Amino acid sequence: MTKPYNNKAWLGVLPVLLIVAFSGVVPLMTVVNYSVQDILDFNSRFFVGFQWYSETLQDPRFVEAFVRQLGFSASVLIIEIPLGLMLARGMPREGISASLMLVLLAIPLLIPWNVVGTIWQLYARSDIGLLGVTLNALGLGFNYTANPLHAWITLLAMDIWHWTSLVALLAFAGLTSVPAAYYQAAELDGASKWQVFRYVELPRLKGVLVIAVLLRLMDSFMIYTEPFVLTGGGPGNATTFLSQHLATMAVGQFDLGPAAAFSVIYFLFILLFCWVFYSSVVREND
Amino acid sequence: MASIQLDGLSFRYPGAEEYTLAPLSLNVPDGTAFALLGASGAGKTTLLNLLSGLLAPTSGRIFFGDDDVSYVAGRQRNVAQVFQFPVLYESLSVAENLAFPLRARKFDPLWIDERVRHIAADLAITEQLPFVAADLSLFQKQLVAIGRALVRPDVSVVLLDEPLTAVEPRMKWRLRQTLRRVQEELAVTMIYVTHDQTEALTFADQVAVMADGGLLQVGTPEQIYATPSCEFVGYFIGSPGMNFVDIERLESSLEVSVGASRVGFRPEWALLKPQGQGQLAGTVESIQLAGTDSGAATGVVRLDTAAGRVAVRGKLNVAVGDHVGIELRQHLCFSAQGDLVTAEYD
Amino acid sequence: MLQLSQTQLVPDAEAFEHPFRAGTLTVVLGRNRSGKTNLCRHIAGLACSAAGEVSLDGRVMSGLRPQSRSVAVVFQAFVNYPNWTVAENIASPMLAQGVKRKDRDIRTRQLAEVLGLEELMQRLPNELSGGQQQRLAIARAMAQRAQVLVLDEPLVNLDYKLRETLVLELRSLLQQSGTSVIYTSTDPKDAFALGDEVLLLDEHTKLQSGKPLDVYRDPQSYAAADLMSDPGVNPFITKASLVAAARKAAVRPEHVYLASAPPPGEVNEFQMDVWGLETSGDETFIHGSVEDNPWVVRCSGMAHVVPGQRLPILVRNDDIMRFGVV
Repeated sequence: MTKPYNNKAWLGVLPVLLIVAFSGVVPLMTVVNYSVQDILDFNSRFFVGFQWYSETLQDPRFVEAFVRQLGFSASVLIIEIPLGLMLARGMPREGISASLMLVLLAIPLLIPWNVVGTIWQLYARSDIGLLGVTLNALGLGFNYTANPLHAWITLLAMDIWHWTSLVALLAFAGLTSVPAAYYQAAELDGASKWQVFRYVELPRLKGVLVIAVLLRLMDSFMIYTEPFVLTGGGPGNATTFLSQHLATMAVGQFDLGPAAAFSVIYFLFILLFCWVFYSSVVREND
Repeated sequence: MASIQLDGLSFRYPGAEEYTLAPLSLNVPDGTAFALLGASGAGKTTLLNLLSGLLAPTSGRIFFGDDDVSYVAGRQRNVAQVFQFPVLYESLSVAENLAFPLRARKFDPLWIDERVRHIAADLAITEQLPFVAADLSLFQKQLVAIGRALVRPDVSVVLLDEPLTAVEPRMKWRLRQTLRRVQEELAVTMIYVTHDQTEALTFADQVAVMADGGLLQVGTPEQIYATPSCEFVGYFIGSPGMNFVDIERLESSLEVSVGASRVGFRPEWALLKPQGQGQLAGTVESIQLAGTDSGAATGVVRLDTAAGRVAVRGKLNVAVGDHVGIELRQHLCFSAQGDLVTAEYD
Repeated sequence: MLQLSQTQLVPDAEAFEHPFRAGTLTVVLGRNRSGKTNLCRHIAGLACSAAGEVSLDGRVMSGLRPQSRSVAVVFQAFVNYPNWTVAENIASPMLAQGVKRKDRDIRTRQLAEVLGLEELMQRLPNELSGGQQQRLAIARAMAQRAQVLVLDEPLVNLDYKLRETLVLELRSLLQQSGTSVIYTSTDPKDAFALGDEVLLLDEHTKLQSGKPLDVYRDPQSYAAADLMSDPGVNPFITKASLVAAARKAAVRPEHVYLASAPPPGEVNEFQMDVWGLETSGDETFIHGSVEDNPWVVRCSGMAHVVPGQRLPILVRNDDIMRFGVV
């Protein structure tokens, strides 16, 4: 051992390790424990193996919620990533206007999530909300409380409003790292704007975009507060996603066993999607 | 290919008091290898940016052949540029990189293929054609960047901005040789910007020495070396540069021109002699080894003389503190303002 | 004296030892990626892949943090505190060492004068030119009053002419200071101009060390010979007259003479096929091939040679360097 060896670094990490263990790892293990038991009350528990897992996976309401969730996450990604990219490209890179734009972009990200839901809930109301009233005045017959399609569109609009800034900020950071010489060379080559984007900017944005997609994929898959506040899962089940379904089961019905199994399945799905995405994209880089 | 004409070209940043580039006129004949030599801040990069269209002139005009391109956008000027570090489309293959400028201008695909192969063969990178640009070494990448600059047949001028900067010292020679050979074969007008005099003098047919935004001298490498038009050029070229001494301080007489007040001589034009001989007397201050010649150590001897510090190249058969004489086998005369009076040789 | 023992610059590299004698200026010469920067970091105590024992005046430094070592470093990229003025930058190591304010001010003034920065004391680093920034970095390193000063290619990002003047300034400056100096470079000219000693690095290990002139005259291997010449040495294969074994030989480009200007002593003649010429005013480089090996001839003045020509060239017997069996 010839390098200066500093053990003090471990002291800095220890609190974090303890907190993560306490708030993350141990509860996770508890949930896994519950998921293989039938819990009638605190004293009577029976080991049931994978029964809850198979029941959950065959439950039609679970499957429906899952399909809705997939649709939501896919729509969110398809719209937010390109939109965020375009925003970042359109932003000024230097000067006071750049700082101003960055602040404007950051604002939606700072609002507490249930406040976001509340804002949109009021905004889209067909009787007193600005958006709702305007759309109805244009003769569109907009009512998100009654019409499932309108509910979906409102939800998507809310999520896009809320989170596109994140993608834009990440992409902006990536774009500012492109040296000016590359743009100049492309200009002298006679490259079109699309070619500049495709061959100069996009390759350099790969790392940043991977992070943006992973973040949005995970977050949208876990989304709970905003749709709950906005539509409450309605009309009917139209906007009940996985998290809300789970909450209903666990908290409302106090069915801990199946709820725990559901949670584990939920967790594993997110892990699976992210891993598939990451390895298929990052594999090329190395 | 075109000749380049600069007419009273100047540049000043809006609101700045001083010119970054003072008004200058220059003529670069078609097919010339031309070097812009100067230290940082001399204005050579500004001149390059005016030529590529990145900056618009404050006054004066630029002609490519007969066309006035002073205010024409970069992409319409038919220039190509090689930068200090390899600027490529890293995700594309070498062949696609080379074809890019041609495809953007909609040349015939079969002809493009031919041309790409031709240029790759010239630069000896034919084997690398199918590989992705990001996988190449720095040297190879710079070759591809040069290839991209050369691939367009109608390019008026190729601008090179210190292209050897990122390349390993051992490879600089090879890259320079390649550039020179390709320049001659394709008869492309090349303008090469550098602060390294060896690069400028070895590459170019014509060298322009710049300082503080002004053009000091334009000439062949031999002219710049042997007859610098002013003291600064004499000092800047050569390692070490020219020595300057007041004529009145010389110990014995030397043939000088009328109006001359200073004499300039290069370290290799002087010879160390025993004390009492030569035109100048000095004491050895320091010895800098450079190698050996016929077994004897050679290098640069720096001396303290009545006329100031002087450097002489030769055999290192003296020691610090020795009193010696300096004989000038060759010299030039300069006026009090620092301009060359007339070339005189003994 | 700084002693390196059992030093491996990267895992699996050949281990070597080297003593850096007190008060000497050692130039570490090697190509890019030959281990020079690793060596600097190893001596300074910064994280790197090198392993081995480093001791200063008998005291083992290997377990010490960089802050506790008496080593100051100047890097290639001009590294200065961007938010502090020149004066504050130079004073920074003394601040860390707890030097009293009055002494700090005196020493700052001294160092600024020695390095030609006394007019710029209130400027910020980004208002200085490249040469000035690097001189500031050197002043900061010298303010540390360390026993060892390490400079990792400090002039490589500067203009050619500026480099020339700074090398001379540095030489007198460093010789006066009396510290042990380690200066890395890829250019043999620096070894000649600056070094009391030269240490040759190749493939992460030490090839040879000694006085520059001695190493130049007596390289122990082809690689060592190659490092001390710019451009590299010219190789050829000779057959020993008695033993039919092929041996590698080489001659330096500056030791090849044109038949028109023969050197004294016993000479061998070769024929060179000339490809091209490069002249830089006081020297001419002739590129070509001899016996299928690429050669470069470095001669003074202008040579009147034409590409495609067959040029007779002469090499002194004494200048031929011979190495082991190929």
